[in-house]
Amino acid sequence: MIDSLYLAWKYLSFNKVKTVTLIACITLISFLPGALQLLLNESERQLMSRAVSTPLVVGAKGSALDLVMNSLYFDDEVPELISMSATDQVMDTDLALPIPLYVRFHVRNYPIVGTTLDYFEFRKLKIAHGRQIAVLGDCVVGAAAAKALNVEPGDSLVSSPQTLFDLAGIYPLKMKVTGILQKSHSPDDLGIFVDLKTAWVIQGLGHGHQDVTKISDQTLILKKTDENVAASAKLFHFQEITEKNIGTFHFHGDLSVYPVTAVIAVPYDPKSGTILQGRYLSKEAGEQIIKPRTVIDGLLENIFRIKNVLDAVISVVALATVMAIVLVFALSLRLRQREIETIFKLGCSRATIARLITAEILIIVIASAILNVLLMIPLHLYTNDLVRLLVIQ
Amino acid sequence: MSSNALKRIGFYLASFALLLLFFVPPVTAADSQLSVYVVNYPLKYFAERVGGEHVKVTFPVPGDEDPAYWTPNIATIGAYQQADLILLNGAGYAKWVDKVSLPRSKTVDTSRKFRNRLITVKETTTHSHGAAGQHAHENLAFTTWIDFSLATAQARAVAAAFTRKRPRFKADFEAGYGRLAQDLADLDRHIEKTVAGHQATPLIVSHPVYDYLVQRYGLNARSVHWEPDQRPMPGQIIELEKMLADHPAKWMVWEGKPLPAAVQLLVDLGVGSVVFDPCGNVPEGGDFLEIMQQNGANLKQIFE
Amino acid sequence: MLAIKDLKFHYPTGNFSLSLSDFSVAKGEKVAVIGPSGSGKTTLLNLVSGITPFVQGEIKVGEYAINELADAQRRDFRICNIGFVFQEFELIDYLNVHDNILHPYRINAALTLDQNVRARAAALAKSMGLGDKLKRAISKLSHGEKQRTAICRALLPIPRLILADEATGNLDPENKTRILDLLFEAVAEHKATLLAVTHDHELLNKFDRVIDFRDFQVEEAA
Repeated sequence: MIDSLYLAWKYLSFNKVKTVTLIACITLISFLPGALQLLLNESERQLMSRAVSTPLVVGAKGSALDLVMNSLYFDDEVPELISMSATDQVMDTDLALPIPLYVRFHVRNYPIVGTTLDYFEFRKLKIAHGRQIAVLGDCVVGAAAAKALNVEPGDSLVSSPQTLFDLAGIYPLKMKVTGILQKSHSPDDLGIFVDLKTAWVIQGLGHGHQDVTKISDQTLILKKTDENVAASAKLFHFQEITEKNIGTFHFHGDLSVYPVTAVIAVPYDPKSGTILQGRYLSKEAGEQIIKPRTVIDGLLENIFRIKNVLDAVISVVALATVMAIVLVFALSLRLRQREIETIFKLGCSRATIARLITAEILIIVIASAILNVLLMIPLHLYTNDLVRLLVIQ
Repeated sequence: MSSNALKRIGFYLASFALLLLFFVPPVTAADSQLSVYVVNYPLKYFAERVGGEHVKVTFPVPGDEDPAYWTPNIATIGAYQQADLILLNGAGYAKWVDKVSLPRSKTVDTSRKFRNRLITVKETTTHSHGAAGQHAHENLAFTTWIDFSLATAQARAVAAAFTRKRPRFKADFEAGYGRLAQDLADLDRHIEKTVAGHQATPLIVSHPVYDYLVQRYGLNARSVHWEPDQRPMPGQIIELEKMLADHPAKWMVWEGKPLPAAVQLLVDLGVGSVVFDPCGNVPEGGDFLEIMQQNGANLKQIFE
Repeated sequence: MLAIKDLKFHYPTGNFSLSLSDFSVAKGEKVAVIGPSGSGKTTLLNLVSGITPFVQGEIKVGEYAINELADAQRRDFRICNIGFVFQEFELIDYLNVHDNILHPYRINAALTLDQNVRARAAALAKSMGLGDKLKRAISKLSHGEKQRTAICRALLPIPRLILADEATGNLDPENKTRILDLLFEAVAEHKATLLAVTHDHELLNKFDRVIDFRDFQVEEAA
């Protein structure tokens, strides 16, 4: 067989173009379905593991999918906002632990996730270096985001303005990176986590500024009475929270009407979960409670329906390719008729000729398989990102 | 003894040790002492009375600082974050709480259940700027525990939080709470009795921290801003004289023992001094109950 | 070396038949076979080498009676005992000179390719003037070099009988003589026997014996 492989190798390396074309065809046609399956499995795994580990989500009535995509995968599509009182409502039921989420702002393409410390415990996120967020303006960064943004504990990140001409609010806030999270192979790797209150500061709901009663620049003061000082919007706002100015940061009005995008509800036991869901069913309020699992099941069903179509297309293409390859071999045998006759005359059996052809096919198939594996390696390494790129976003 | 025999004995010993690991019940999380962090002394006192041996209460504010205005450093915030339970006074007490990240699941606002009974105090100046419109810096009065019915409610919240964390010791927590509630009820009754019939008696409070006491017992009090450890400024004296003109108070209630000079100054104006220590931080002597009993005794002078 | 008796052969479909009652070639003899196209010269070579089976008569190459051998045996016999030199060289274009010479050893298990054989192949190529062209591709060879490569391939298994089918057909006169001389030298050196079909009448005088197919009974069907 070594001799046959040697001769086959010689033949294949002599007919380079043909060989490369064949290998490319076979590789592609065998790689595509595998790659597709891998991507889908990975997206299913990612979507599902996240959905399964998130028992209930309370959010504004409307698209359940948007709500899930935003609160589980930090998708850019921001669902309608609900107020912080939704968190207190869940808390007051004593049925579930509420974890509010405010996923609306970004640092470049990375979502700023405003939440409470319970989120870290709930998602089992551990700090790899540095420390947990402690004061207003602190943030901890997911492993992948930290790598991409090239930050370490002690560095700072500036929140991106939402729109270019955002005059009213959303001051870019310089946040202090206090910690980097361990890799979790989930969307959390891409998040920048801040306390909910820090997210509100980004929105301008909480802010720090000079004491208006002690302002020396009178152009900033619109109207001053004994009861009220009206300052102009030009009033200097601190864009970074430091130990010196943290005392001036304050929130206006009732915190319970402050916005959040969703509240993750972690029921204390399965029965509590059912009761909690029931309470929202009968509610007239603007909030809905959803089971991410159900939403993702529906989404996956759609994805798999598309996958079935793709599979059918790929099968047809594969069949055509196999037929073309058979044809190529048949034609090349005909072209080699003379060579076959010669070696037959020299004393070669038909079995040996068959062995030569088999060796050629074997080399091509093995080369394709190796190539396939080589292609699969980067795919495997980057499925996580690819899935985010192709499926989730 | 051959090395083989030694090895065999070693193996038996190791197996036995492993078996022990399985049979000796480990101290589980459900039994261990609860690590409780609090933001003021009354909560520390309530937590210790309710929790007894099942809790370890930490109150990291130094003795010479007012816990309401104290700010922890990063390490202390970390310690709070690591606690099993964080007891907050609520009502805006301890401003630092708004500026740090605490795990919500472990944080209990002991005044949340009676948030509709909290008293709003207007600050002197509101301000507005930008699109957000006018916003007053409205504050809540936060010395809730000197209304002993509210203090009882706070103790109740503490007991409920302990029970949720350590259901096994529910009976102990209930018993601890029961005794504390009894003491607080006695205090409440005692002050009510002291005050009965004299509610109209005008009095001055040295600092606006007595809102809950005033509300609970229907007192007729007005507030100045005098510090017990500072000599009153001439302006303050003029302000007091003005106040006395239409509010003929014979007594001023102090947060702490006032300077003799201030006492003398008041005596000259015909005003006596009594101490009602809100006891926000750990007292130099005695405990919360003793201080409050002393406060009650001090009040007697006014209403006799 | 070669003995043919009462051989009668015709293709099952064709209209051609060959009849040889008695024909033999002695060991070491160099025999030329001439005759017009279609007279059966190539058929004779195919019969002698066992490529084309036959039923009537007897062909013996050395001690082997060709018609008594099974298919596999005939192939093994052929690769071990017969050296073929073709008119169009029939070299394998995807193998270099060296691999072409070694080719018979790679297509039949009856021959074992070992260091010995490799050394012999190198020596043989060197003696044929191909010593420095072993790694060369076939397409880069001149006609003469190609034929010499083909002769090396035929000689490497040390055949007893060399069958040359128009081995000098496509060469210029100078090369024809050189190739034939090389072939003769090799035959002499290996003590082989040569049966060469040729059209080149000017070269016939170099052979020990010339057989004219017109002398045999070759029947052309009507």
